[in-house]
Amino acid sequence: MILLQIFLTALIYSFILSLLAMGFTLQYITLNVPNLAYSSIAFFCTYLPLTFLILKLSPYMSLPFAFLLGGAISFLLFKFLKLLKEKGMSLVGLMMATIVFDLIIYACMNIYAEYLSRNLQIYAASFSLTAYDFELLGLPGIMFVSAGACFSLIMLFTLLLMKTRFGIAMRAAVENYNLASTQGVNVDRVLSVAWFFVGGIAGVSGALYPLWFSMDPWVGARMFVTIFAACVVGGIRSIYGSILGGVLIAFSEIFVCFFLSFSFTWIWSYRAVISMIAAVISIIGMPQGIAGYISKIRERGLIKA
Amino acid sequence: MLFCIYAIITLSLNLQHGYTGIFNLGLYLPILVGAIITASVPGRLAMLIYGIDSELDFSYNNPTVIDILRSKLANDPLMSIILLLITMLITIIVCYVLGYLTAHPALRLPADYLALFMLCLSESMRVIGMQTTWLTGGVFGIQVINPFWWLGRYSYQGLSIFVVSTTLCICFIVSKICASPLGRLLKAIRENELVAESVGKDTNGIKKQIISLAFIILGLAGVLHAFWMGAVIAGGYTRVDFSYWPWLMMIVGGAGNNIGVLFGALILVLIRRVMIVSKHVFFFLPFSVVWLEPILLAIMLGTTLMFRPEGILPERPRSIMNYMKKILKSQQQ
Repeated sequence: MILLQIFLTALIYSFILSLLAMGFTLQYITLNVPNLAYSSIAFFCTYLPLTFLILKLSPYMSLPFAFLLGGAISFLLFKFLKLLKEKGMSLVGLMMATIVFDLIIYACMNIYAEYLSRNLQIYAASFSLTAYDFELLGLPGIMFVSAGACFSLIMLFTLLLMKTRFGIAMRAAVENYNLASTQGVNVDRVLSVAWFFVGGIAGVSGALYPLWFSMDPWVGARMFVTIFAACVVGGIRSIYGSILGGVLIAFSEIFVCFFLSFSFTWIWSYRAVISMIAAVISIIGMPQGIAGYISKIRERGLIKA
Repeated sequence: MLFCIYAIITLSLNLQHGYTGIFNLGLYLPILVGAIITASVPGRLAMLIYGIDSELDFSYNNPTVIDILRSKLANDPLMSIILLLITMLITIIVCYVLGYLTAHPALRLPADYLALFMLCLSESMRVIGMQTTWLTGGVFGIQVINPFWWLGRYSYQGLSIFVVSTTLCICFIVSKICASPLGRLLKAIRENELVAESVGKDTNGIKKQIISLAFIILGLAGVLHAFWMGAVIAGGYTRVDFSYWPWLMMIVGGAGNNIGVLFGALILVLIRRVMIVSKHVFFFLPFSVVWLEPILLAIMLGTTLMFRPEGILPERPRSIMNYMKKILKSQQQ
């Protein structure tokens, strides 16, 4: 029974983390700027299901709104970065600009949590919505919803990228910004739609999080470590690698903690550190991540053939 | 005092980023390490030296132990100073090793991922600090000895003089490094690493040394901060306070110019103090005024990036003619 619970936790965590890691990588490769506000955008949206619950609505009804909220913040951030990039801002300046958004979101999250605690007597500084989830076939609803959201969003993204004109334009813009624009691609529009979509994914992942895990305003900072580790293990510039990295990090975090907890009961408190150790090992042993390793094997196969 | 601590942090950041071009967002890793060493080493060492009841645990019976140590150290200035020096020495050694070990994998990454790597390492250290109750007192924190208790009611003044003099020493060392040939080499690495490598400079080795040196300086800032606060709460060492604020100070002041970053630190510490002192002005807000601080930081950072990205006192380009004149003068003499 405990093993099933642990497996469920790892599974739900892997769905959420894969989505987050995929979004982070996609934003990185489109503008070549790591978005430091990414996890804050995602976890700001965790307050939407709580708000819906306060309004006596199902937390799941907040998912489309979380998509829109995450997308809107991400879109605004893109416009801000674009403006600075046009002014000739360096990479450091652009990363600092993402911190501007991170700080505002962090402050807003805490203000909202405090507002709920003071005025509605709801302790929003730390909460979990597991008790308000539905059950299906004896399993928690979040498992089906998170799996559905993960697979459908990845499928949708793949279809968008491979089968549509927009996807071709986006790939062209990512590969070579200037060349794509000289070929008539409206690069700005393509990238802003991509950032909106990715922000939406982050919002949905964040909104799903409190339905199984405990949430507080500092989760964003802690989860950033895990998202980063997933991206590094998967491969810094690989979208599908980061999805795989997310699954690996989620399972290793949960299962390593679970098996070690038989000997060291305190290990659960250090969960985030385990993913960081995985990232360090990956950087030393496999700097290109899993994606790089796979492409190396493929290249060798082609050479032999 | 806060200015002194932030001055040390921003100078170290300027050495890393302003001079060498290393993009480190995880400044609070060594600061936290320094604070943790201050929280755990001198108190335990004093307990051992004075043979205080072994049933008392420094972390779990912290207030009782601190009371006993206060009475002992108040009459033992020599031991107080030795404990202070040992704490600083251990911090220097640990931070140097940590800096070197961290730099090894970090420098394999591109600049942006190096920044993220450092940030994540610092956040991991914060998690370790918050959860390791026996070392840091966990979420409740731990009280720290004051090495100037022997000065009686002037102990705070004594500590203040020590913090100021340490800050001046660090300022002197950093300015000497920046004005030396090493400083010029660091700028060369910042401007074009490939060119520096092509003239036979081990850029990676130098970067590792600079990261290690910066870690030592930041670790000392952590020690001073812990002694000054009189307590260490690992959870309080956040990315906002100990990484983003120093970055803003450097950007506002002007990266690559030590006077500029000190000026930036002074302005921002003053603004923060004014905000805290005039808290009552914001009585009408339905939330704690403390959350306005990150918003203020964000607005200032955004405004600076938009309108004056080079800072108030930007780095001045030095003419080669000045160097030529100096060389000629020395040859004539």
